[in-house]
Amino acid sequence: MSSPPAVDVREARGAHAPPKPRREITTAFLVSRIAVLAVAAALLLYALPPLVAARSWPAVVILCAATAAIAYLYLTRRFVPAKYLIPGTVFLIAFQVFPVLYTVSTAFTNFGDGHRGDKRAAITAIESGSVRQAPGSPEYSLTAALKGEALVFLLVDPATKQVQAGDAAGLTPVPGAQVGVTGKVLRAPGYTVLTAPQAAARGQDVTALSVPTPGGLIKANGLSRAVEGRATLVYDARCDCVQGEGDRWAADEGQGYFVNAKGQHLAQGWQVNVGLSNFARVVTDPTISRYFAGVFGWNVVFALASVGTTFALGMAVALALHHPRMRGTKAYRIALILPYAMPSFAMLLVWRDMFNRDFGLINQLFGVDVDWMGQPSTARFAVVLVNLWLGFPYMFLVTTGALQAIPRELTEAASIDGATPWNGFRRVTLPLLLVALTPLLISSFAFNFNNFNAIALTSEGGPFPAESPQVGATDLLITYTFRLAFGTGGAQFGFAAAISVFIFAIVAIISAVTFRRTRRQEEVYA
Amino acid sequence: MKLSLTLRHVFVLVVCAFALLPIVFVVSAAINPLGTLASTELLPKGASLGNFGDLFASDTYPFARWFLNSVFIALASSFASLLLSMLAAYAFSRMRFAGRRTGLLALLLIQMFPQFLAIVTIFIIFTKVTEMYPAFGFNTVWGLLLLYLGGALGVNTWLMKGFLDTVPKELDEAATVDGASHAQIFWRVIMPLVTPILAVTALLAFIGTMSEFIMANVFLRDPESKTLAVGMYGMIAGDQRNANFGMFAAATLLTAVPTVGVFLWLQKYIVSGLTAGAVKG
Amino acid sequence: MRTRALGVAALTTLALAATACGGSQPATPSATGSAAPSAAATQAQGGKLVIWADPNRVKALKPFAEQFGTENGVSVEVKEISKDNQQTFLTASQQGSGPDIMVGAHDWIGNMVQNGAIEPVNLTDAQKAAFPEIAMKAVTFDGQVYGAPYAVENIALIRNTKLAPDAPATLEDMVKQGKALKEAGKVKEVLCLPVAQKGDAFHVYPIFAAGGGSLFGTTASGDPDPKKVLLGSPESVKAFGKLKDLGEKGDGALKTSITNENYISSFAGGKCAYLISGPWAMGDVKKGGISYDITPVPSFKDGKPATPFVGVQSFFVASKGKNKALAQEFVANYVTNKDVAKALYAADPRPPALTEALQEVGASDPDAGKFMDAGKNGMPMPAIPEMQAVWEPFGIAEAAVVKGGDAAKAAEAAQKAIDSSLKN
Repeated sequence: MSSPPAVDVREARGAHAPPKPRREITTAFLVSRIAVLAVAAALLLYALPPLVAARSWPAVVILCAATAAIAYLYLTRRFVPAKYLIPGTVFLIAFQVFPVLYTVSTAFTNFGDGHRGDKRAAITAIESGSVRQAPGSPEYSLTAALKGEALVFLLVDPATKQVQAGDAAGLTPVPGAQVGVTGKVLRAPGYTVLTAPQAAARGQDVTALSVPTPGGLIKANGLSRAVEGRATLVYDARCDCVQGEGDRWAADEGQGYFVNAKGQHLAQGWQVNVGLSNFARVVTDPTISRYFAGVFGWNVVFALASVGTTFALGMAVALALHHPRMRGTKAYRIALILPYAMPSFAMLLVWRDMFNRDFGLINQLFGVDVDWMGQPSTARFAVVLVNLWLGFPYMFLVTTGALQAIPRELTEAASIDGATPWNGFRRVTLPLLLVALTPLLISSFAFNFNNFNAIALTSEGGPFPAESPQVGATDLLITYTFRLAFGTGGAQFGFAAAISVFIFAIVAIISAVTFRRTRRQEEVYA
Repeated sequence: MKLSLTLRHVFVLVVCAFALLPIVFVVSAAINPLGTLASTELLPKGASLGNFGDLFASDTYPFARWFLNSVFIALASSFASLLLSMLAAYAFSRMRFAGRRTGLLALLLIQMFPQFLAIVTIFIIFTKVTEMYPAFGFNTVWGLLLLYLGGALGVNTWLMKGFLDTVPKELDEAATVDGASHAQIFWRVIMPLVTPILAVTALLAFIGTMSEFIMANVFLRDPESKTLAVGMYGMIAGDQRNANFGMFAAATLLTAVPTVGVFLWLQKYIVSGLTAGAVKG
Repeated sequence: MRTRALGVAALTTLALAATACGGSQPATPSATGSAAPSAAATQAQGGKLVIWADPNRVKALKPFAEQFGTENGVSVEVKEISKDNQQTFLTASQQGSGPDIMVGAHDWIGNMVQNGAIEPVNLTDAQKAAFPEIAMKAVTFDGQVYGAPYAVENIALIRNTKLAPDAPATLEDMVKQGKALKEAGKVKEVLCLPVAQKGDAFHVYPIFAAGGGSLFGTTASGDPDPKKVLLGSPESVKAFGKLKDLGEKGDGALKTSITNENYISSFAGGKCAYLISGPWAMGDVKKGGISYDITPVPSFKDGKPATPFVGVQSFFVASKGKNKALAQEFVANYVTNKDVAKALYAADPRPPALTEALQEVGASDPDAGKFMDAGKNGMPMPAIPEMQAVWEPFGIAEAAVVKGGDAAKAAEAAQKAIDSSLKN
């Protein structure tokens, strides 16, 4: 058993060692290389033009380099493992690694509701939100027109029926214009009146045009009306503040808000760097730290119980069906995978209702009157049971697959040696199963540790004691902390990201330690 | 021996009852004209297939389209992700290279990050992609498939690597001595040996895609382009929960049909090891 | 050595791929920035208007959207979003892939405004006058109108007229009648009002208000003041006490086992004589063949008015939309017409916001008018972003007292939880 790994390592390295005489260039080799080149070229041809059109030169360079690297990787005989890893890894990096890294980077910002965009966007929103219609000014009916190539507004005062033309320079009267019954200008000398589709096609110009008046600006309100308005709040770059309505709000780059002397801020803020304060909040927030130990303890119990029960039940059923004289296995298997085949959010809701005290099936079936979701112990039992139901078919399927890989002679040999079935299982079947399944059990633990849906859709974290509405008996770290991050005054993505980093660190340590212990096992059985 | 077989049947039957109990409840809601979750009665007062009829006749909910979309996406994505993860698992199991165990651990840990936080980034990426390559942008099946491939390596690689580890190394060593290249070993020696687990993984990937919801919800916005999970969620969203529950229950049941179909198709590969192993031994 | 080189090579490739994604990021602003002034791009984009709505409204909106499209020579797309509509809209909008028009509830306004995601909608005085006062009040935030209302919804008392022929004058009368019916074995529950394990602030609010409770103080301008949370005030504690009296250890009218999933169907199945719910319940109630009447939720004897929350469904103009002029035109001048309101009513029967449309609808369906009457003195759901911090603690306090917990303790805990999350 000690020599094969050594040979293996040499072989893996040897794959790109000086070409061995027997590795000749075969037709398959040629065809596969041509295919690789063709695919790489096709990708390049498809992906390049839009980047060139957008003049994203760095992206163009990177695309070319990446394509070249991939083409080279598959043309050379070297880098064998990379040949197998790259296809999945490219997607992994684009759609999983990059999002994770980006999310982690937001943990250092105040990114969230009220702080989604940059400062410029906040200023625009503040100013445009403060525009008030000038008192006593008419609601003009608007007709878009062209003077030469430039867009002008033909404005009709509904009271006087007077027609004026407005452009960036201001208002000028238009004599001799013909106005229809709806208030639209039909004809005006010197102007080309635009039809509705023509005006719609110039929608952005219509939005952009503002006609200055003594009292403010006339802006289009849709395509058929215009009003004279004035921004009551204006940003002043000299003082880096917003002024108006008899007050002054200075930019606070630490908070990402405009704040006045009284400490009140305008609603619209922007995203700023807040350093480690999100992390500090996770550690110092009393509502988190006070309950952390309890929630963490239950979280570990929940994850272990979920993996333990699903694996035990799934394996037990798989073993029970794994018998040459077992009949009806097909029907059994279909019934057993059904829980997994139904949309889980729907079934979680069904289970929640089955546990209802007065209307639920469980109480009725067993003739009891238990407020399942209303007491900590029964609620915890219930969520583990529901998770068992959802998860055991997965373990059943995987174990069934794994059992096929165990040579029957081994188990038979054990029974001939006089081992009881239980001993045979313990000494032969289980160890072999665990070789195949330990990695999966680790990942299943990690998954259940963060199993948001299993809690959020059943007990919602409850029951909650009346005196501390923040933390419930079945809350996991993730449901509990995310309630803090998303439940109060909007989504706080930065804070949520910081929380995720913490939970991630916890799971990572547990998983890494367990994983290290599997190394021995892997080498022994591999 | 007789007794033990009977015991096996009894045990499996009990577990089946556990598995089916909530489903019977859903069936009852689906055939109940006043479809609701709330009734304690397993047997509804009246029974009709009206909810199923409504489901296919509905203007608001193009159920048949969702059904086809889901099956197509799930088949395509499970096939592609199976291939990608099998390739990676082969490298992880059979080759030794720097960063192998780190890579494996990293694969596991990346899955741990809450997916819904990533939605912001998905928007960043695909807003750009929609602009440049509309064929793979928002509201396209192809874009969604690309996105799903990002998760291909995840758990599946771990699953298959575990199984590849149980295949004796002597087999590929013998093949190497015979002059087979690594690609030939992969396709001709390893793949045929692991069909049971390929089939299991394919089924798991299929089910996973069928019920995937978070990404599909932000991705698909035309009623006609939705998948079952997204469309069905819309049925009971907000105040509609009660009004559509009968139809929703019917839809839930029908969702299981393709999965069971795929299972029946794959079942012979899953249990093939039983007989094949015996002969080979 | 080779293996090391190999690892390095793989890493470099990965790094390359990573930068390929990352590298395209800085290009985003420049690409969109350069697209705006270019005439060609304007032409290409000028012809499309995108509307996002929830699944139930997409079908009803489509014909009108198409008609608007033909009139203005543009293509209009109505897309549906099933879940987390507000957050999806905000995120998509921020990244530049949002719609031009969003359909949603008025209580989103505060949060959408603080994110700069929507623009004020300019309605003429004549247009404003066409809506009832409460609808306009709901869509007005910080003195500015941010949405065009199309439907108004609130809860009311729906009763089974066979079991309870007369509308109860007070909550006490209703509970008495409900208990009598329960004792006589005619019904199983006194009242069908969802509480569930986490409470349901929306449905219990009228009773809470009738008991004298309130959520916020008011600012000088009459808007709810997030700095003054009143859940722990003596009046609110008294109101929670009343909820406790109605709860499981008291009259048994409020129960945590009655949930959003079962309350309507229980009423429709004749299991209770009284239901507190909104227009969305009527489909099931009619299917159940119940003879019913709709009246305002009564108050306690000598209590305060039982004001329900009023929600106003509205159209919003996205500030990052590609075609704001068209969006404004659609929202301010097109959708505020009674045919659209009536079509939306037909798709999902919530009373239309337009008074004229309501009258026409009311002629054939008296329920709409009755719901509207029940909500006449209602309170528009607070649209301030801070309201999100209230729902859950309030609900949990409600569930706690319904289960028989101490009212003062529950109210105090809720107050503390809300204050700490609002940093008051």
